[in-house]
Amino acid sequence: MSKESRMRATVNQKLAEMGERERLKELLRAKLTECGWKDQMKAHCKEVIKEKGLEHVTVEDLVVEITPKGRALVPDSVKKELLHRIRAFLAQHAT
Amino acid sequence: MKMEDMPLSGPDNTRLEALVHDIYSELVDDACLGLCFEVHRAVKQGYFFLDETDQESMKEFEIVDQPGVDIFGQVYNQWKNKECECPNCKRLIAASRFAPHLEKCLGMGRNSSRIANRRLASNNNMSKSESDQEDNDDLNDNDWSYGAEKKAKKRKSDKSQNSPRRSKSIKHKNGDLGSGVSTEPYKYNYNTGISYETLGPDEVRSLLTTQCGVISEHTKKMCTRSPRCPQHSDEQRRAVRVFLLGPSAPSLPDPDAVVESESFDIPDGQTLMSRLQWEDSPDISPTDSASSKASTNHSDSKRPKKKKRTSLGLNSGVVVGGGGGGGSSSSSQSNISLSIKKKRPKLSAPSISSIYDDLN
Repeated sequence: MSKESRMRATVNQKLAEMGERERLKELLRAKLTECGWKDQMKAHCKEVIKEKGLEHVTVEDLVVEITPKGRALVPDSVKKELLHRIRAFLAQHAT
Repeated sequence: MKMEDMPLSGPDNTRLEALVHDIYSELVDDACLGLCFEVHRAVKQGYFFLDETDQESMKEFEIVDQPGVDIFGQVYNQWKNKECECPNCKRLIAASRFAPHLEKCLGMGRNSSRIANRRLASNNNMSKSESDQEDNDDLNDNDWSYGAEKKAKKRKSDKSQNSPRRSKSIKHKNGDLGSGVSTEPYKYNYNTGISYETLGPDEVRSLLTTQCGVISEHTKKMCTRSPRCPQHSDEQRRAVRVFLLGPSAPSLPDPDAVVESESFDIPDGQTLMSRLQWEDSPDISPTDSASSKASTNHSDSKRPKKKKRTSLGLNSGVVVGGGGGGGSSSSSQSNISLSIKKKRPKLSAPSISSIYDDLN
């Protein structure tokens, strides 16, 4: 629905303009490193690379292998906090 | 703005939630992508596998996760109950106490030198007060001197009767009786004790009535302890009096004339005397009056030049009285100092005593 898509566009624009997107990104990265998600993912990467061979690994390979696993491995606490913050932002700046 | 058209109603709420989740997913994907780029670059630049070595070393430093053991695999309280033999004193010391013990045992480290210095200082104080009962500047002289006297008595019994100090003083007494005071190169005191050289006969007389007065050979000072102090014999005291006051010197204060209770006061008198002597200042500070109990009567000041016998008798009698009326006066103490320091004009004596009457 165009209404909705327009709304989404607006929201995204607002997020970017107010710097909230960057802040959320940094927050997520910090939390993931803190909880050990990053090390887990790196270990998985090593396996992938060893599998594929050091010389021939491409970004695409990695992305394809890593992203689903990464999404799944995010701890619940981190997810909840992020969702909470996004909701708060929307509630604050949606009107 | 279309946003205003979206209240938080049922279907819209779900749309909002969907939106939130979408935003969240975007953020997570961003993070994953960032990681992929990072890893890919590390691989291509060749530093991705740098933290890995050969398999053996990897196994060696693997993280250990067993109970009772830290992550390096060491048992952390293994040495608690063990005992080590000290190489210095050959004693068995518990492992956790070994390092501090070694510090003290070898005499190294900050604390051990501090403790040693403190011990030396207190030993010096002890031995000093035993030898001559010299006054140290402290205000707690009364208790300290009495206690040290007791200790001195105890240790004296340990010392042999033929101790060098004893024989030295005897030698001195016999040998130098003839020489005058001026030939002795004794300096005035540097901290403690009384040097008889600077005292006039009257002062010497008054000192000798209340103090032992025996001149110590190695410090050349008069003993400030009780006239019945155990370190010196009556023979020595008599000899000192003869030496200082001439052949007509009176006998020592008669023990009978001295009440028993006085034995406690006399140390005060000695310390008072010695303190006054040491201060050597024309100002008689109120601390004198505060700290000492011994006193003589006012009448003492009026007769500083009386004959030795009578003044001695007066003093001994007065000290008895002083023992009874302990707190009696600062002015009387000022009179003692007045009589000791002969240079002070007698005219000032009554005025000073009046000052102290005011203080009292």
